[in-house]
Amino acid sequence: MVDISAEKNEKSKSSRRKSADFWIMVIVITLTATGIIMVFSASYAFAYNSFGDVFYYLKNQLKFALTGTLVMLAAMNFDYRHYAKLSLPLAVFSIILLFLVKIPGIGHEENGAMRWIYLGPVNFQPSEIAKISVIMLLSLSLSKNRKNLGKFLSGFMPYLAIIAFYAVLLIWEPHMSAAIILILVSFILLFIAGARLAHFAVIALPGIAAVTAVILKVDYMRTRVLSFLDPFKDPLGEGYQVVQSLYAIGSGGLLGKGLGKSLQKFMYLPYPHNDFIFSIIVEELGLVGAFIILLLFAVLIWRGVRVALSAPDSFGRLLAFGLTCLIGIQVILNIAVVTSSMPPTGVSLPFLSAGGSSLVVLMGSTGILLNISKHTGREA
Amino acid sequence: MKYPGEKKVFLTMRKRLLFVFALLLAMIIGLLLRLTWLQIVNGPELQRLASIQQSKGKETYPRRGSILDRNGNELAVSAAVYTISINARDMNNKYDAAFIKNLADKMCDLLDIEGEEAEAVILKFSSTNGYELIKAKTDIEIGNKVKEWVTEAGISDVNIDIDSKRYYPYGSLASHVIGFTRTDNVGNDGIEAIMEEYLRGVPGKMLREVDAQGFVLPFFGDEYYIKPQDGLNVVLTIDETIQHLASEALDKAIEDFKVLNGAAAIVMDPNTGEILAMVSKPDYDLNHPWAAPPGIENEGWTGSSSDDVKILQSSVWRNKAISDLYEPGSVFKSITAAAALEEAAVTPETRVDDYPVELSGYLLECWSRPNLHGEESFREAMYNSCNPVFVKVARQIGIAAFYKYVKAFGFYDRTGISLYGESSGYFHEIPTELDMAVASFGQRFQVTPIEVICAYAAIANGGKLIRPMLVKELRDSSGSLVRSYKPEVVRSVISRTTSDTLRDILQGVVTYGTGHNAYVPGYRVAGKTGTSETTYDEDRYIASFSAFAPADNPAVCVLVILDNPSGEQYMGGVTAASVAGRLVRNILDHLGVEKIYTEEEAANIDIPVTVPALTGMGTAEALTLLDKLGLGYKIADTLTDAYGNRSAVNMEDKIFEQAPKAGTTVVEGSLVFLYTYEPDEELLVTVPDIQGLGISEAAAILNDSGLNLRSEGSGTAVRQSIPAGSSVKAGQVIEADFLVLGIDVE
Repeated sequence: MVDISAEKNEKSKSSRRKSADFWIMVIVITLTATGIIMVFSASYAFAYNSFGDVFYYLKNQLKFALTGTLVMLAAMNFDYRHYAKLSLPLAVFSIILLFLVKIPGIGHEENGAMRWIYLGPVNFQPSEIAKISVIMLLSLSLSKNRKNLGKFLSGFMPYLAIIAFYAVLLIWEPHMSAAIILILVSFILLFIAGARLAHFAVIALPGIAAVTAVILKVDYMRTRVLSFLDPFKDPLGEGYQVVQSLYAIGSGGLLGKGLGKSLQKFMYLPYPHNDFIFSIIVEELGLVGAFIILLLFAVLIWRGVRVALSAPDSFGRLLAFGLTCLIGIQVILNIAVVTSSMPPTGVSLPFLSAGGSSLVVLMGSTGILLNISKHTGREA
Repeated sequence: MKYPGEKKVFLTMRKRLLFVFALLLAMIIGLLLRLTWLQIVNGPELQRLASIQQSKGKETYPRRGSILDRNGNELAVSAAVYTISINARDMNNKYDAAFIKNLADKMCDLLDIEGEEAEAVILKFSSTNGYELIKAKTDIEIGNKVKEWVTEAGISDVNIDIDSKRYYPYGSLASHVIGFTRTDNVGNDGIEAIMEEYLRGVPGKMLREVDAQGFVLPFFGDEYYIKPQDGLNVVLTIDETIQHLASEALDKAIEDFKVLNGAAAIVMDPNTGEILAMVSKPDYDLNHPWAAPPGIENEGWTGSSSDDVKILQSSVWRNKAISDLYEPGSVFKSITAAAALEEAAVTPETRVDDYPVELSGYLLECWSRPNLHGEESFREAMYNSCNPVFVKVARQIGIAAFYKYVKAFGFYDRTGISLYGESSGYFHEIPTELDMAVASFGQRFQVTPIEVICAYAAIANGGKLIRPMLVKELRDSSGSLVRSYKPEVVRSVISRTTSDTLRDILQGVVTYGTGHNAYVPGYRVAGKTGTSETTYDEDRYIASFSAFAPADNPAVCVLVILDNPSGEQYMGGVTAASVAGRLVRNILDHLGVEKIYTEEEAANIDIPVTVPALTGMGTAEALTLLDKLGLGYKIADTLTDAYGNRSAVNMEDKIFEQAPKAGTTVVEGSLVFLYTYEPDEELLVTVPDIQGLGISEAAAILNDSGLNLRSEGSGTAVRQSIPAGSSVKAGQVIEADFLVLGIDVE
């Protein structure tokens, strides 16, 4: 690849050089390209309805895919070890953004939540940056601090505090799904970094109790959980999205109705190009299409794991795996929601869902992963 | 960054990392399984629900299949109508308010909408909705006018969609079989409901119109138009003519016998189980199924409120032929006889007697007491319908055997006819000796009419219980056969020999016994009367007659049930028998079944004669001709002398006028009234009362008055077509019904 010659000249102390992981690159580009097509297919009715322009989301997606690709290529060629120095400033920056988004005029409301910051033509969600920033911060800190991790109060608890701080900020927006993803990825990092299982056990009990209490107390969460148990009970109310999603999935069959032939996207399934794009994919491309998409994600995760295992240092290893999990968890949550396997929550499908900042950040993450893959410490 | 134990730490990390990886993979596999499950197990149902939703609002409707009788007559058809809607939002984006108001006015004008309704239409035109319904199911001509206007004016936001409306050309005919559809074209009752999945077809889809909000999306070509598949035509086993005959027969019976609680008739081909006619009275006009039934206040009637629907369901919508439970009475004796003959407990010639039987403190006696029939053959006991004889033979074969046959004849099961609302009969679960004794002559249990006719079909067809059939075949809109339904034998009940014997006996019941009113010369009618009190109230009874013909090779099985005839002079099965007999005759005439007369019948047969043209002939010549044809005559003469004697007939006079007119068919021996002068007006005579007289007596009295008789049935006259005391033209034919009375007041 192009970068190899450029990198060859650079001296490296602890790692050998090799080319970036070919599979990761190919899969991400394939998924992104599929995403562009599917976003167009799923969105044109909605786009026409909302903007009078059937190409609205296609244009957007192309724009962001292009930006994302550039960011990915840049990140691929930016030595990941520099992030060690950058992660703390980035963490501070992301926290500032999380506060800024709550200020009317800077933050923008969508569906009752302050999640967006509009910067001229560029809109982004601070939560996306927060996720990456937490992964970097934890990877750095855990790679240096592993000896202390064994202690509950001085080792384990500070991390918990950091995670909780971010989570509270996200829940405050409110952006529940981002908080869930952030917590899950952080815990995975703590876990693989060697945190004691006993410590997890200690916090598990009050954690579960707190979550249960919140679900029972907060009305919209309770109805969501209940609607998940029987979406058909109120198919026009709480269960609407899920029921519509199931209709789409059920209509797909083995081979689907054919590209572009979904009927559910015609205003039945709300935002068919966003969180529920997978339903439209199944409706149009069938079980076979869905299987191929999931297979691509599975291979992507596997390659990510390989990169992590062969990373030259702990920071690279944790960072690589954190980013891989960020993708994997979003895939799992998204598909669990659209197949009504868990209560609905707004998680987009990486690379496939329409959505600007998310796609750019995910492709950027892939770039970081690709860069780590170029540094091989020991053989995995 | 090196520190002691790094190797171990790395190994832990590697292990945990792989563990998380495995977990992620497992979840992905789990979701894949969930996805597969959704598609394979829930797929069809989800697809159906999705398709219902996507077809809502704007779809292209398939033509609902027609319902045809067995000869292809259309009993239910869908006619095209238009549904007119507008896309008000697009319209308002294009035109100004004044122009739109104009459009709305013009639309109201074309659709003939005025007043408040017109204001509602104008409001719809100014709305911002993508879809506003202006008028549903408007006639094709009016729709075409709107179409023309829209095309000329070049307005693109008016949608004129083809829709369909159900018509029932025969009105109330076979209403309970055919059923009707709701306004959304979904079958609500009868065949319309039970065959819904075949009749409805598959809606087509206009994808640009599937958008839930009525948006027309650009660049949708024809490939996005999925053509609707028309529904299948359902061909019934019903014969429209026979259905008509049966319906008319019941209408007449209800009037003649003052039947208070409705009536039912079923006509079945005993060999195939095909239902040729099924009538339940009262019935209703299928084109207006929600109209208030006769006798119900129209005030405040909506037809759709739950109270109204309950009234409809319990009156005109009720299919008495399958929903009513009744005691069959003596009709059931055929079942007891079948069991006894099959078990070889009796032969037709076995000597029996109708002396009373005492059982559990009850005395079971013959209806004819105190004039008992005494000792008689089993065949005669059937003719005479003697209850004690059946009690005795039933006891002879025993409870187990008796109920084995009751069960085999299908009285413990629904017949499974393809209609909703079939009741399940009530028969003893754990029968006692007394239960059986009373059941042997058809009392103290409840069955449905359809069960009874199926049992009689089994007797008629050689012993096989056959599932009643209403649907003969399914055909597609081009007429090609899609599916053909075959007769289904449920089980063999009795042997062919028993069937042969019983058919012969039942023919005797009609020819010589209590069923005589069903007698039709030449058609060998077999059957049995039944009279049963109901459990509802004491004075209400049900008269029924179950018949088949010709007895030696049955072509039809007929069951007639009159619920509560209240005429005073005649009781019981007499009424139903005469109705059934005439119905059998009309049906066999229609089917072209050959009449085979016995010698006696041939001798007594009424020979039809066509009245010749006599005007202009000399009197002598005319009288010779009439004599030759076997017709009588009467010559009108106003020349009456002072003593009241008429002057002699001058044979030279020419005939000026005759009654009946030339070409009329009368029976041999009828009278032709002749005028030897040009009458100012034809002579009027007074109709005599012939009720209670025998046929020949009645004919003589009518002839004396210068009238002719056309008789139906035998016995004594119970009804005349023109009431006594009326003035009619001389030579007129008076129709009269004759019944044999008092033979089966069971």
